[in-house]
Amino acid sequence: MFELLGQALIDIVQWKYLLPLFVGTLVGVIGGSLPGVTITMTVIVVLPFTFGLDPLQGLACMTGVYVGGSAGGLITACLLGIPGTPSAIATTFDGFPMARNGEPGRAVWLGVWSSFFGGLLGGVFLILVTGPLAALALEFGPWEYFSLFVLALAMVAGLTEGSLVKGLLSGAIGMLITVIGTDPIMGVPRFTFDSPFLAGGFPFLPVLIGVFAFSQIMSDVEKLRQPGAATTAAARPMLSVSQLKVIGEILTRPVLLLWSTIVGIVIGVLPAIGGSAANMLAWDQARKMSKTPDRFGKGTPEGIIASESSNNANVGGSLVTIMAFGIPGDAVTAVMLGAMTIHGIQSGPLFVSQQPKLAYGIYAAYIVAHVLMVAVIAATALLLLRMTRIRLAVLAPVVLTLCVVGAYALNNTMAGIYVLLIFGVVGYLLVKGGFPLAPLILGLILGDQIELNLVRSIMSDPDPWLFITRPISGGLLLAAAISVALAIWQHLRHRERQAEAEPDF
Amino acid sequence: MPGRDGIAGLICLAGSLGLLAVSFGLPQVPLVPVGPGFYPRIILTGIALLSMALIAQDWRARRALASGQESRGGDAVSRAGYGLVLLSFAVFGAYVVLLPLLGYRIATALFVAALQILLEPPASWRGWLLVPLVAIATAAMTWLVFERYLSVLLPRGTWTAW
Repeated sequence: MFELLGQALIDIVQWKYLLPLFVGTLVGVIGGSLPGVTITMTVIVVLPFTFGLDPLQGLACMTGVYVGGSAGGLITACLLGIPGTPSAIATTFDGFPMARNGEPGRAVWLGVWSSFFGGLLGGVFLILVTGPLAALALEFGPWEYFSLFVLALAMVAGLTEGSLVKGLLSGAIGMLITVIGTDPIMGVPRFTFDSPFLAGGFPFLPVLIGVFAFSQIMSDVEKLRQPGAATTAAARPMLSVSQLKVIGEILTRPVLLLWSTIVGIVIGVLPAIGGSAANMLAWDQARKMSKTPDRFGKGTPEGIIASESSNNANVGGSLVTIMAFGIPGDAVTAVMLGAMTIHGIQSGPLFVSQQPKLAYGIYAAYIVAHVLMVAVIAATALLLLRMTRIRLAVLAPVVLTLCVVGAYALNNTMAGIYVLLIFGVVGYLLVKGGFPLAPLILGLILGDQIELNLVRSIMSDPDPWLFITRPISGGLLLAAAISVALAIWQHLRHRERQAEAEPDF
Repeated sequence: MPGRDGIAGLICLAGSLGLLAVSFGLPQVPLVPVGPGFYPRIILTGIALLSMALIAQDWRARRALASGQESRGGDAVSRAGYGLVLLSFAVFGAYVVLLPLLGYRIATALFVAALQILLEPPASWRGWLLVPLVAIATAAMTWLVFERYLSVLLPRGTWTAW
């Protein structure tokens, strides 16, 4: 293992791989620091640029975006009080007060180094756990895979904020999109209505790009003419600080760092909860564990360390899920999964054993990306602060143009762009209707696999009880049922609390 | 009159029932114990049931609203905001139509310029200068990077051959 990792680290620092990794990290930090531009959006924009690269170059670039984006959000969170990404929301709670108290450099660098250490600890977990988990996944038959995918969907639908029914419906719509076209077993056309456009089904990436990019951009566009929509003018803060002192502040709190990292990793491994939940949960945990909880929210370093170490550790956890099981942990890894497919790579339990060079290349890229992230933020933090002034009128058409290129370059046909437009409208309408997009995307990714494994299991043995009586499959289905039951209970409790909170006149 | 959720539920219900009917017309394959309609029918039945649950939720919420038990905040987005979204989609739609006719470079430059003007009409001569600069730079840079360096062939126009 260590020999492969050492070789991969030597390979990744060659210019051929280091350059795309650096560019990816830089773009990730920029995207992460721009309020309103999420990591998912940044990965989508970068995706078409990787089509012409070799697989490891492309995946190194995407890994860089993911790592850079997870850390980039802290800059505006600390200096402007606006989180660049949802995964930096909790950083704002203490980072911004600390910066306003005259310590902007300390706030930013506490965040950067916490991201660095949290990310590297997440990397250790990624390297040590992916192989054994993949080996466990190799024991899975179609029953277990079916149940695992059902669990993933149930968790995602259940853990979304708002209506559980809408979460489940969104996941089901995603699965429905995958059945349009030819069926995967016998190639019979389904719901194509004799249209050549529908005959091949909807390609995954244009759907994903359309749903995410349009829903986000159009949601920003609709607020453009509202009063108060103007961007915040950024002052020019002094960011110089003793790096050793900041690192010391973090390392003298090993329990906090480790616990927040574990929170980030666990949330990353669980499908589609994401960095936004990780940083909030880690911050809340840190406050509960603290002897001085009243200092949280007023500029305490513990709050920044907890939030930033967890959101970068979350990246490592998400990569474990995609590499061991072939299930994307969140929307960013969903795009990465799409990129892997484009490069002809089948992710899943055989990935690490059959493509060790590539798998260890991703590990190495993940580690080196953290070093690059620190360097990029050190060099560009003040410049990035100025970039937050880019107007939506300029940003939106440029991003949409890159979306068009990404959708077109997939098969070099206009069909991809038509799909992009259709699902752009669908995505925007779903968001306006209050439907969460994460279950839709997971349903879209897993829909084919759920069908394949369901039909394979029935072809092997038509006894439906096997889904429950096989121990792993039964356990996974039980976990799915518990997940939905818990979600229902939480939603009911939330509603009760809301009713109690409302004054009764 | 149903609310937003009720309308969404009705659309999903109608769509799922329609497709469910179509799924029964799919051919059976003798080699496989379950036909190509088996899995879609499971999903469509799920969608139909969830849609009914959504309609019921909406109905209950509206009844509670009518009896004054609950209050809901209004939609903060103005009509002008939605109008801008609609126009932005229209501009993008026009771009998609013009792309195979004018070719990537011309259509993209026009699209970027049009959307900039729509989203934030320039108020000064510097603003008007910036619009074509951003438009041409975007089209030229993406074309150069993708066509020249990444070997991704972008659409050629049937009218312009460019």
